[in-house]
Amino acid sequence: MSALRIARARQPRRVQPALLCRWDLDKTYLRTEFDTLRQLIRTARERGTEKVEVPGVAEVLKGLRAAAERRGRPHLVYFISASPPQIGAAIREKLALDGVPYDGIVFKDQLDRLRRGKLRQLREHVGFKLAELLRGRLAAPPGTLELLFGDDWESDPLTYSLYADTIEGRLAADRLEPLLRRVGVDQELLPEVLALAARAVGLDGRVARIFINLERRTPPALFRLLGGRVVPTFNYFQTAAVLAAGEYLDPPDVAGVARALVERAAYTPRRLENSLADVVRRGALHPAAAEHVARPLRVAGLLPAAPGGWVRRLFRRLGRRVAPITVANPEPIDYDGVLDRLRPARRATEREARPG
Amino acid sequence: MPVVAIDAMGGDNAPEEIVRGVAEVSRETDIECLVFGDEARIQAILDTTTYNPEHIAIRHCRDAIGMADDPREAVRARRDASLVVGVRAVAEGRAEVMVSAGNTGACVLACARYFRLLRGVRRAALASVFPRYTEYPGQDSLALLVDAGATVRCEAEELVHFALMGSAYARRVSKVPSPRVALLNMGGEEGKGGEALVEAHHRLRAIPTLNFVGNVEGHELVRGRADVIVCEGLLGNVVLKLLEGVAEVLQDVARAAAERRLKWRVGLRLLSQGVERVQALTDYRQYGGAPILGFEQLFIKCHGRSNARAVANAIKVAAKAVRDRVPAEVADAIGVVR
Repeated sequence: MSALRIARARQPRRVQPALLCRWDLDKTYLRTEFDTLRQLIRTARERGTEKVEVPGVAEVLKGLRAAAERRGRPHLVYFISASPPQIGAAIREKLALDGVPYDGIVFKDQLDRLRRGKLRQLREHVGFKLAELLRGRLAAPPGTLELLFGDDWESDPLTYSLYADTIEGRLAADRLEPLLRRVGVDQELLPEVLALAARAVGLDGRVARIFINLERRTPPALFRLLGGRVVPTFNYFQTAAVLAAGEYLDPPDVAGVARALVERAAYTPRRLENSLADVVRRGALHPAAAEHVARPLRVAGLLPAAPGGWVRRLFRRLGRRVAPITVANPEPIDYDGVLDRLRPARRATEREARPG
Repeated sequence: MPVVAIDAMGGDNAPEEIVRGVAEVSRETDIECLVFGDEARIQAILDTTTYNPEHIAIRHCRDAIGMADDPREAVRARRDASLVVGVRAVAEGRAEVMVSAGNTGACVLACARYFRLLRGVRRAALASVFPRYTEYPGQDSLALLVDAGATVRCEAEELVHFALMGSAYARRVSKVPSPRVALLNMGGEEGKGGEALVEAHHRLRAIPTLNFVGNVEGHELVRGRADVIVCEGLLGNVVLKLLEGVAEVLQDVARAAAERRLKWRVGLRLLSQGVERVQALTDYRQYGGAPILGFEQLFIKCHGRSNARAVANAIKVAAKAVRDRVPAEVADAIGVVR
């Protein structure tokens, strides 16, 4: 053994901060359809065996835990869902079937709101989710690093960004309150959220990344308003590649996600390669990191074996052009501007997605 | 799924409308879009629209041929232009068909430079579709005109080839089992027109596999007598531009009339549904594009003013032509007279 290796072996292992992953359920983990009342009723009555996950998501969850264990990093997984607790049994059954490890699920008590005649609050999730995120944060060990996973269906990008900025002390209570009022947070819930926020400010730790599953294919440019911390992805292979670049996953974990997409969702190596190139072009993944992820996948036949000169040229060209990926938000987010843009844009996307 | 190469930089509305057309196709179909052009600009447009990245690959090209560029010089000297690189990709088998709304002359010359002509074919033909009346149920509402400008002057043999290629294309893409083929001429009698037209008429009549219905005159173009109209490029181009111009003038006249008198405005409003249907029928955006025929490889040319919908339709037509094995059908058709 060389002197350098002996010296490294004698060094005490650096204590890794805990990794807290928080997931939305519908449209992020599950392929839930509730555009119509009929779909909503069907979803509510589904058993765990009937529920369908978004391709590759279970492999990302399992890979995150495996990678954390390899690094000796404590790892916690929580689901925060705006669905009622009445579907909890089916959800737990589904997660068990998928072999997904988790530490807890929080549901929104929709029935209680219905009973109290708070019909408007049935669809307003920002206050509920923000409160649960803050509560979870206060219970987490100091120095915890967080990864948040949501979708573009409701207000996950906004809620997660508000949360991240609050705990990092970038969003003071006097700015948070009017924003929450503007999005229509329940008047009764508001003081509780603000109190939790006041307690969470300045806690050691931060949100490393916010991943948004583009279930309704919202134009990615829209999320730039929320800074580089938010990463919109079109599939979980893109998510896995970005996670690997941040060393939250290893290349074999990414291969597991790619394999799941190929074997169970009819993805082809070419579709995966196009996905990888897209996330590089959008600046969420450095070309060198993409190369690093792609190499074992080519060997495994999950990406085209001979990428042709174009992939190498693309990565080389972008590598020269792209500055190192910044995940921190250097500039404060203009949340009023975000709200002005996000709400009409969502309506426009709905119109575009509608057939005919 | 077929791989369709797309020139993102060609056309009056490029690259915005072209890329939006690609985005539409990526959302709605499984067609693999291989897009050639300025990568940064293409991605910037995609970023602002809804798209599926799994069906889009982008190949960066540093150059683009403009609509006003000299086609011969551009194709010869600008080897990094998106059109030229895309055509080379099809020639080398990396894509199965090319789609462009760019400079028509450059499109034809790029095909001539990099594609192989079908055995026995001397000159390529640019096809184009236009709306017309139909005579019987199930007849395609679009007629195919060959040639629309690729070969300015033609001999009889070339007109015969155009007829066979056009008939094969219509059979495959429009699903007309036995397309009616006609020669565009200045009279219905077989002795009318120049030497080339008379000879072509005789030779076409002698081909048993071809449903040749004789000559048609200009006023018969928009009737349903023929599904494939054959003429030399100069004449075809004039005919198409004339049809387009007349349609535009009619719309302008109607608009001006509506502005002048309340009675006419009310009348037009009452007829609005019908007017919209006529507009839809004459709207080139509905039809996407038409092929450049005569090569072993496929090229679909879109209108220069194509918007996203037209581009999306052209990409779908291109994929359909690949799936329906149009080049093989055209090669078989030419084999009859070889």
